[in-house]
Amino acid sequence: MTATLERPTRPARPSGPRLARLGLFVAIVLAFVWGFSGLGASAERLRTAPGDAWEIVRLMWPPDFATEIDRGVIGKVLESVYIAWVGTVIAATLSLPLAFLASNNISPAVVRHPIRQLFNAIRAIPELIVAMVLIAVAGLGPWAGALAIGLHSIGTLGKLSSEEIESANHGPVEAVEAAGGTWISKVRWGVLPQVMPQITSYWLFRFEINVRASAVLGVIGAGGVGSELVAQLNFRNFPEVGAVLIMTIAVVVSIDTVSSSIRRRIISGGRGDDPSRLSVLFGDLVGRPAGRPSRPQH
Amino acid sequence: MSVPTAPSTSQRPATPRRHPFVYLGAAAIIGWTVFAARQVGFRWSTFIDVWTNPLWEKFWPIPWEWVLDRANVIDPLIETFQIAIVATVIGCGLALPAAFAMSRLTTPNAPTYWVSRIVMNVVRAVPDLFWAKILVTAVGIGAFAGAWALSIFSFAVIVKLFSETVDGADPGPLEAARAAGARHVPAVRTGVLPTVLPSYVAYSLYVFELNIRASIVLGLVGAGGVGRVVEVQRSSFNFDRLLGILVLVFVVVFVIEQISVALRRRLV
Repeated sequence: MTATLERPTRPARPSGPRLARLGLFVAIVLAFVWGFSGLGASAERLRTAPGDAWEIVRLMWPPDFATEIDRGVIGKVLESVYIAWVGTVIAATLSLPLAFLASNNISPAVVRHPIRQLFNAIRAIPELIVAMVLIAVAGLGPWAGALAIGLHSIGTLGKLSSEEIESANHGPVEAVEAAGGTWISKVRWGVLPQVMPQITSYWLFRFEINVRASAVLGVIGAGGVGSELVAQLNFRNFPEVGAVLIMTIAVVVSIDTVSSSIRRRIISGGRGDDPSRLSVLFGDLVGRPAGRPSRPQH
Repeated sequence: MSVPTAPSTSQRPATPRRHPFVYLGAAAIIGWTVFAARQVGFRWSTFIDVWTNPLWEKFWPIPWEWVLDRANVIDPLIETFQIAIVATVIGCGLALPAAFAMSRLTTPNAPTYWVSRIVMNVVRAVPDLFWAKILVTAVGIGAFAGAWALSIFSFAVIVKLFSETVDGADPGPLEAARAAGARHVPAVRTGVLPTVLPSYVAYSLYVFELNIRASIVLGLVGAGGVGRVVEVQRSSFNFDRLLGILVLVFVVVFVIEQISVALRRRLV
């Protein structure tokens, strides 16, 4: 046979965005170089730093749990969890009414816009800064931390909740209107049952985030495990630091795991079609009819 | 034609009975909340005291000539930027391959998947400020430690977000590439990467915003940036200066956020 099999040629690359991509790449490299120049990183430092960091990790092993438990670090870790929980409860109770006032299907523009700006302003201030101010008012200790976490979380929770409220189905609201319901009934019976599962899962998610945040608060004296970590690092008691870190990680990871499985059950009603007992319980707690998702999954 | 007769008394439908465990669950949550509140020393009076505290007067007026002085605030703020840029580039650059290893869709094998997952969960469980404090202890006070800590932190954040996006990517192109005989890495690069790249860039921008915000507080443990100034002014109770720094920082963060949000909207 004479017909030779021709090697298939590759299609030509599209040439359009190549220049733009190159420009972006150069811009990122330049920004990186500029940024790097400000860090005071000499070649010597770059060379020794990974070794130094590894040395600290090595010194942390084996972790000294006995000393830390004697120093009451379990109480400190739990204190972080309490702070996160109380902060989340404060934020949840305050953000829910505010979220309704910030939604465009519930509240007039005059009310809505200032509250939205309030959410943005709150979100911009880190918990630690809020805690610094509140320590001066509420005194050193976990209460100042809980309050700071609560105030800070209003920002994100309010924003997420109000977005959820805005995307709620208008049908039930019309039904309440048709039945002659008041504004309050519309919110209570038309909107709230639709949005509560998702909003509850935001609360739980915020609790997970807050556990990490409250671990940090101790750095400025607002309770929790952070003070212990900083103190032991300052004294260079590395085995103790290792113990504190491992305990913190254990608590954070286990709370994350439990909370995300609860969240999954609230939103999708457990695995598969068969609603488990737990998902019935969680669904009922947040006001969702058991076993069925309240809206199509995205 | 007869009009259907309305029932003489309109009756409400019966309220569906709740599962008895619901009351138990609700009671448990309330009980736990009360217990936690007692543990942190909850006080109603604070809600009132906060507003009447004479301390608020110390926040005003803002000494703008001090705040806008180059050496006082502007230079540390620039340092904050430098930390954030370096951390974002390093963190996000390393996160791209790591996220592919961590996603069920593109992981080369099961051990890689599980090991990377466990490592990332542990890395993410340690708050950014702890990383900063540990690295300050390891490599000394300054922006270098801060950039490093934030790199680790942004790496952890973006791997988590991005690997979930990769999980949700369309498996079709990947199958096509594999069917054409591509090895693992080229298959992922041509089959998955193009579809998820926009979200990756969007996450990177988001992480950059996070890093700018985080590097404000890094200075509290000596990791450079504007937080160093915040810490000094806080410990000497110069609340008016503190407020000035914060106002300046938030204007800057706000501007960056607006730019980044506009960019992200175009991407996704």
